[in-house]
Order: sequence, then C-alpha cells, then structure tokens
Amino acid sequence: MYDINLKNVTKSFGSLNAVNDITFTIPKSSVTVLLGPSGCGKTTLMRMIAGLEVPTSGNIFFDDIEVTRVPTKRRNLGMVFQYPVIYRGTSVKRNLELPLLTEKLSKEEISKRVHDVADLLGISGDLNKMVEELDNGTRQKIAVGRAIARQPQIILFDEPITNIDITAKLELKRSLKEVFSRLSQTIVYVTHDQTEAMTLADQIALMQDGVITQCAPPKEIYERPKSQFAGWFLGNPGINFIEKEHISQTGSGITSSLFSQTLEAGSMASKVKVLGVRAEAIEVHTKQTAHSRAARVVRKSLGIGGQYLLDLEYGSLKVKARVPHQRGREIGENVWTSVNSSDIIMFDENGAAL
Amino acid sequence: MSSSALEVKGLSKSYGDKSVLRDLSFTAALNDFSVICGKPGNGKSVLVRTIMGLEDVDAGQIIVRGQDVTDADSGSRDIGYIPQSFALYPHFSVRKNIEYPLTLIKASKEAKTEAVDRVSELLKIGDLLEKMPVQLSGGQKQRVAIARGLSKATDVYVLDDPLVGLDFKLRERLIEDLRLTQEKLKVAFLYITSDPLEALQLAKTVLILADGKIIQQGALADVYDAPSSLPSMTTLGFPEANVIPGKIQSSNFTSEIFEAVVDVTGGSTAAIAGIRPEGILIGKHPGTIAVSATLTLLENLGSEFAAYLDVKGTQFITVLSRTDIEGLKLIESKNLTISIKPEAITLFDFDSKKKIGTGVAHV
Repeated sequence: MYDINLKNVTKSFGSLNAVNDITFTIPKSSVTVLLGPSGCGKTTLMRMIAGLEVPTSGNIFFDDIEVTRVPTKRRNLGMVFQYPVIYRGTSVKRNLELPLLTEKLSKEEISKRVHDVADLLGISGDLNKMVEELDNGTRQKIAVGRAIARQPQIILFDEPITNIDITAKLELKRSLKEVFSRLSQTIVYVTHDQTEAMTLADQIALMQDGVITQCAPPKEIYERPKSQFAGWFLGNPGINFIEKEHISQTGSGITSSLFSQTLEAGSMASKVKVLGVRAEAIEVHTKQTAHSRAARVVRKSLGIGGQYLLDLEYGSLKVKARVPHQRGREIGENVWTSVNSSDIIMFDENGAAL
Repeated sequence: MSSSALEVKGLSKSYGDKSVLRDLSFTAALNDFSVICGKPGNGKSVLVRTIMGLEDVDAGQIIVRGQDVTDADSGSRDIGYIPQSFALYPHFSVRKNIEYPLTLIKASKEAKTEAVDRVSELLKIGDLLEKMPVQLSGGQKQRVAIARGLSKATDVYVLDDPLVGLDFKLRERLIEDLRLTQEKLKVAFLYITSDPLEALQLAKTVLILADGKIIQQGALADVYDAPSSLPSMTTLGFPEANVIPGKIQSSNFTSEIFEAVVDVTGGSTAAIAGIRPEGILIGKHPGTIAVSATLTLLENLGSEFAAYLDVKGTQFITVLSRTDIEGLKLIESKNLTISIKPEAITLFDFDSKKKIGTGVAHV
C-alpha cells in the first residue's frame, strides 16, 4: 500500500487559496479523516489526491512515485461520493461485478470478490435484488462495495454519510467501521461531522482556511488541541474559553475567576492570554469544596444521554458545564464548581496552545 | 406569567384519502421557546403552512392573540416566519434582504433602519449589512435569513427547522443565538424540528408531534422524565430510547431479554418496556438487572461515546463517558454484561402505546 505524500500543495481559484501550501503525509494502511467546516479546503485537497483537480503548485506522491499530473484512472484508487454512484436498472450483484470486468480476472475470481465484498458489507442477502428496491444506506454500501472490490491501493470517501437518512446512517457508519478495520488500504475520508471523524479515524487532519492545523488521533486532538480552533471545533459544545479579562498572572502563576487554585505556568506565564476548559471538566457541587468557586446557574438544556448542559455565571464570566441527568440543577440556583489543573489548557495571543 | 400567543384547536387536514393532521391542538405562550418535535413524515410542514395561512384547513381553528385567524389571509396574521432554506435575494444587499418584509408592507425608511439595527445587533451581523449574499458563508446566510424573519417586529414567530442541513458547528452557534434572541425579545417562538438534540437544546416547552397530533406538551424536563406514551419517549431523547416488547403477568414484566418487577395499572397484557440510554450501565451493579451483551459499535461523540450493544438480536444503546471507555477497556466485538436500572423502565400498553406503569427499584 502507499503513503500519500503532499509537498507544498496549493490550489487557487482566482484570488482564493482553497488549499494553501500543505506539506503532509497520509500514512499507508490507515484511516485519515480530513475534518473541517465548509470552505476549509478539505474536498479540494481530496480531489487533488484523486486527480480530479491539478494543484496550482506543489507535488503529490504515492510513496515516492509522483502523481501530480497523472490522470485519475491511472492512480489505482477507489472513490465513494456523497450520492451513491450505482447503476439503476441492474442488480446489486451486477453493480459489484461491473468495475471488475476491466481487470482481466477469471470468472471465479470475480465471483469470489463479489461475494467477499457483499459478506463484508452485510448485503449478501441483497445480491439478486434490483438497486431500486433498496434504501439509500444500502445503495451507499453498494457504492462502497464497488470501490473496494477492485482492491485499489487507496480509497477516498467524500462525505459518504451526509445524505443518508438518519435511520440508515448508523448502520452505514457501523459497516464502514467494520470495513475499515479489515482493509489494509490507505483510506482518506472527508467530513464536516466531528462524530463521524472521531468514530472512524485513526488520525484526524483538522483543516481551517486551506491549511492543516493539527493532525493527531481522535483522543489526542480532543484532549490536547493545539489551537483554540481545534478546541472549539471538536466537542459538543466546543471548549469554554476564559479570556484575558478573567485571567491574572503573578510571576509564574496564573489565576482566574473560574477556579481558586494557582496554575503553575513556569516561563510561559507571561504568554498566557486565554484558558480552555471542557464543559465536562467543570465539576458542579452543591456545597463549597476545596478550590471551588461560587457560580450561578442562568440557563440549562438537555443533551446527549439526558445530561444537562448548564450555563454558569461567575460575575461577568460565563461558561458551560455538563452534569449527569440526576444531578441537574435549577435555574437561579447558586452552586460551587472546581476544575482540575490538568484539565486546563493555556493558549497564547495567537490562539496556539502553550 | 406567560399568556397564550398562539392557539391551535382541533386542526385537521387531509389530502384525498391521506389524513395528515388529525384533531391537532396546542398552545404556545408569550415569552416561551416552544419546540414541536416530530419524526419525519408526521405532518410538520403541513402544520407550519396552515399556521402561516399558506394552506386552508379542513377543520379546526387557529387563534393568534385571542383572535380567530383561521380564514384570515397570511399577511394579516402578523406572524414572523423563518423558513427552512435561506433563500436570500441574490441581487439585494444583506441590508435590503433584511428590510424586504417591511418593504412589502410599505414601512417608512426610519422603521426599516430601526428594524435592521435591532436585528443586526441581536444576531451580530452589523459588519455584513452592505455585503451581497454571494459574499457570505452558509452560516452567515442563515443568520441573515433569521434576521430577516425577525425584522418584522411582532410577538409570535414560527421557525420552520431553520438549522437543517447546516454544519454541526454552525448549528451549535445558531442554537445559542436563537436562545438568547428569544430571551431578549420575550416573544413566542414556535420552532419545528425533527432533530431531537435540537429540541433538547432549545426548548423551554416541548410539544411531541406523532401521527398528526400533538400527543404531549409540557416543560422540557417533565416530558423527558415522564413520557405519556411510547412515541413521546422515542421522539424526544438522543440517542433514542431502547424499546423491548414483552408481557405483563402478576406485576412482572417478562421479555426474551429480561424480567422485572413492575408497578402497573391494569392486569395481564402485552406491553413494551422503554429504557433511556442512561438507564443502562456497563458491568454488574447492585440493584440492577444483569444481561449479557456484545458491543457492536462505539460512536465517539466527543466527551462521551454512544455504545451500541446486541442482546439476543435486539439493539441496546447506552452512553458512556471517555473515562468509562478507558477504564473498562471497551472495544467492539467484546462480550460483556450490561445492567438495566429497574427504576429507569417505563411500561407502555402494546396496542395503545400509552404509559401503564414503571419498573420498581430493587430495595
């Protein structure tokens, strides 16, 4: 399988640099998710890997073979798009066979691959059905099957779950995770959905304004964002930011309205301009405890698994805290909160984590 | 004390043989954020069109500020409307787009300026006013569309699933904006959605739409904690509640998966147990019902994971924190024990789907 190496890749449309001087390696035999908001350049980057766009400057290599201007059909890759690319008026089996007919394979080999792929995707029972009989999620599974049956070196996925209805989404996600764990190909997957990214990725390449701001495994990027943008983008809600008016520095120590301990920042103390704390890292108590601060619950809503998301006010500082359902507090209630020092991330004036 | 700004009584609407709204009734109060939550295909769009006066009703009344407007034309109902898609006029600036509903009613220049100032401050779009729609991002366009809907100064607004299709993070920001906007304006917001997470995040009052009717209305936490029927429980909540069919005999619920002592009204009957994800724990816990399961998918939601489990061919869902996952060393395909909290079980009649009782906590 191939590593995908990008060297100073830029793609401009008029005066806009959709992808801006990216140098990056997508490791072989792993799942790399390009994640970011609309317009961050993730789809353009994938289209250049696919050969559907030519970079304005820079080079693309599969291992050490340059493919920058090699046409798509000679790149030995499979693609799955937002809308399933399948042939209507034919059976599922025929849809899976068609991409194999140009591969000079024996009938037995074609049959074996079709059945292997159908098994892997859990659609063996649908092989003789016409594609019109199937829901959108199953159709997308066929599109995935068509992409992997040829056994290409690289498989590219462009938001394959986005347009699938909510009931079929989960089954497709489960199926993709199973497929990814069994395949040894290099997989590049584009999405704006952080849940999809964190569920499926070996590593997430987070993009903003045409550049990759951080590439790391899901756990690391969630727990240790390298920028305020990463802290905000990952998580629901994004990380709480404590701005400079709520922070004080004395020597190497940092204090804040949010917590009562002093954070030891060493030589970086003077650079600390913003602190980041996740909603689940704020512990909410009914009584004063060590290192706790008084706060007032000003708003609350429900969330995933019945947890409450509380809007807390500490004077003019406002943050969000997440508490289990049985510990939901009342609006107007006074509470005490604490945060472990290890759960506080320090950022400099440019939004970079220190 | 809030008062009724919009009241719908006994609304029915059919298309040929297909009955879409069936004797539907509810009220929406001033200074309240009311959210109608229903699964796709339950008549949400038809309901919006009838409230807005874009479609006639077969039976029933629509009452706005105490006045029956059922037969009144759309314009005279004085309801602000924020549509599903942000169809901005491409040849108008943002300012002119926002002013447009006021231009239609021939408002004065001063009134338009005042309205634009008011809504652009609310939605933080002051710096976009002189731009053209083509220069805006998707999130900015939707914020402008919301501002346009709010430019008409009134006290009743209908928001027709305005965040559908937007990026996850844009939705998070706009949810915050909408909540703050309603709080500042102290008006009636009636928001319609099929997304349970949006309903949970936005609603003060929630109304469950199923089978062409509002089947339950109440304060968000009350409806979440005490659903009156199975569709109410499965419509509101994320991930969706677990559903297990079985039967009740002598204060016992039995199913292929578990048995539980229950407190129910009525005698022996076919029943359905509903259990929210947070009613299911991983591992063995005292006072719970232990069941063997296989973990089929861990969905990483950020601070927590949705764990999908297979129990004798039935799917169970629970929610676990990141620390749970790391502590328990959970991976897919792993066989494990799950524990059902008996007090988290709600029982529904199999046929009517109405609530008939609850599980009894182990002492």
